[in-house]
Formats: sequence, structure tokens, C-alpha cells
Amino acid sequence: MDIGELKKQSDLSYDVAIAKRNAIEKANTRQIIVYNEHIFRADPQTICLVKTLSELEDTFFILDTNHNPVEIKDPQDFLSKLIQRNQESLSSYHQMYKTFERKDD
Amino acid sequence: MTKGILLFCFDTEHTQYHKILEKCVALIRKNLKLEITVVTNFETYKNLRPLGFINYKFIEPELGNTKIGKEWNNVDRHMAYELSPYDTTLVMDIDYFCYTDNLLQFMNTKYDFLIPTQAHDLTQRNTFHQRVWSMIPMVWATIFVFKKTNKAKRIFDMIKYVKKYYHYFNEMYRIYAKNFRNDYVFAIALQQLNGFVNYNTFPFALSTLPPDCKVLKMSDKGIAWRYQDKIDWIENQDVHILNKEIANV
Repeated sequence: MDIGELKKQSDLSYDVAIAKRNAIEKANTRQIIVYNEHIFRADPQTICLVKTLSELEDTFFILDTNHNPVEIKDPQDFLSKLIQRNQESLSSYHQMYKTFERKDD
Repeated sequence: MTKGILLFCFDTEHTQYHKILEKCVALIRKNLKLEITVVTNFETYKNLRPLGFINYKFIEPELGNTKIGKEWNNVDRHMAYELSPYDTTLVMDIDYFCYTDNLLQFMNTKYDFLIPTQAHDLTQRNTFHQRVWSMIPMVWATIFVFKKTNKAKRIFDMIKYVKKYYHYFNEMYRIYAKNFRNDYVFAIALQQLNGFVNYNTFPFALSTLPPDCKVLKMSDKGIAWRYQDKIDWIENQDVHILNKEIANV
């Protein structure tokens, strides 16, 4: 057992954990989207809600991040923008994540 | 509808804030591409290198406030409503660096006033867990967006009132810091004006680098810093840098 190697591994794990947390925060911030003058999160919950409601109704109401109701008149346009922003943020996170994997080899 | 950014910048004996402003303006130009108005005094203006088209508003800063024993000219933020020439204004601390266009979309909301309530410590030490330092949930007046509406005007009137009686409010809310902080002034004003219930906020945390981190490099893509024996960096992420030595990087 080489205690020096173990300490290096511990330091590396800590560094990766910090970088990962910052990358997640970056992705979360990028997932905030303004649509119809209201603020939403392009997160899985919003995407699933909009997808589900759009299959049942042509227009519907959802809450923005400040709990105010918003009428969505073009669900497909909204859904498309939510998915685009969600995937853009996660693609950026994925690129960062690959560098963590390389460090951990 | 005019839209623009309002910045406040006053050099002090200890800090050349104009150098921080120059870095801030360059990133706004690159990533937000909005018109800029700088509120400053002539002494600071004289030190600035040419920055291209910028509106300047000259005022004499209200003196007397300090931070860690040093002069801190941050008291004039309550005048943002009167000083802004725009219908929709993004007010930013000059030590907030925009490496993305994330803030741009908030110029197009229906809200009269938006401000963040959370900060994300980039060193993961939870340095900004401010709830223990006062009896009021803090806001971060580092950035906020307002429209020239009656509601926003009333918010700024309330901010002026809180500023006038800040010593009283500071005691009432048992705020640990005894100097004048816009974060608390805005938090108190918003809570008082909104009937002691919630108000509209930005739904994200400001990525913030604590003051004990030394910024080693700053490029047009991101920053690298040292904390204790570790060097870390971020790219394409807006960041609030609290160590004013950034002026010399």
C-alpha cells in the first residue's frame, strides 16, 4: 500500500467533485429559459409536463418559476425550445464530464 | 422599449475599480451586446482608457461606508431608477463578469423587478450561507433587472426609505454586518413592500468566487484561481469575483 498514491487519489476525487458540482450549477443556470415573458426551467419535470399536456390539449396553463400561471398557446414550439435548451446545457456538461473521466483513469 | 446596462464605478484609495470596469465592459460587449451607462465621478473617469461608446453619468458618491476598514462607495445604488436612461435596465456590480448571454433573456420578461436570492460558492465551502447572519433571507443586489413602471418606482422608494433608516432596520433584522450592504437594503425593502411574503426572483444561484481565492488568469473565455494549494478554473460561466485584486490580473 502506497499512502502517497492513495492521498493523490483522494485529492483527485475531491478536485473532480468540485469541478463536477460547478459544471452542474452551470448546466442548471443554462436551463433557465424565458418564454412568453415568463421564466421556466428546461428540466425533465417541465419537459415531461409540457409533453404530456400537449398530447391532450391544444393550449394549456402551467406555472412559471415564480408560481405565476402562463397560457401556452403553441405547445410544440415551447416543447422544442425546452428540449433544445436542456440538451444544449447537458451537452456542455457532458464535454466537461469526459475530462473528469480521463483524469480518473 | 430601450434596454441597457447600468454600472456603478468609483475608484478608492485602495482599489482601482476602473480596471475592473474595463474587464467587465469588454465581456458585456462580447456576450450581452447591450448599451451601457456607467455612473462614476470625474476622478475615476480620468483613469479609464477609451472604452468605445458608453454613456457616462457623473455623480459624487456618498462617502462614509467601509468594508474591512477600507473605503467602500456602494451607497448610491438606490438611485438606479433615476439614473437609468432605459425602459428596462440590468444593474450589475462591475465585479460580475458575463461569460455567457444568460442574462440577456431576462430583459424580455413581464416582471417589473427581478433579483437573485442564492449564491453558489465555486469552492464548495458554502461560504454564502447567509441565513445565519441575519433574520431576513438575503438577496444578492449584485445583479437585478427592473422596468420603469410604477411598481418598480415604489420598490426604489422603499429602498430609499430603508437606506435612510438603515441603522434601525439593521438592528431590527439583527444583521451581523454593521456596515451598509445593498444586499440587505434590497432584501428588507422587498420584504416590507411585498407584505412580508415572497417576491419575484431569478431562479438561479450566482456563481461566486469567495474573497480568499486569488484569480491567477482571466481570459475572454473564463478564469483560473488558486485557493490554498489548489488551482481550479471555469469557462463560459458567469462569475461574481469578490477578491478586488482582480483589478491587477
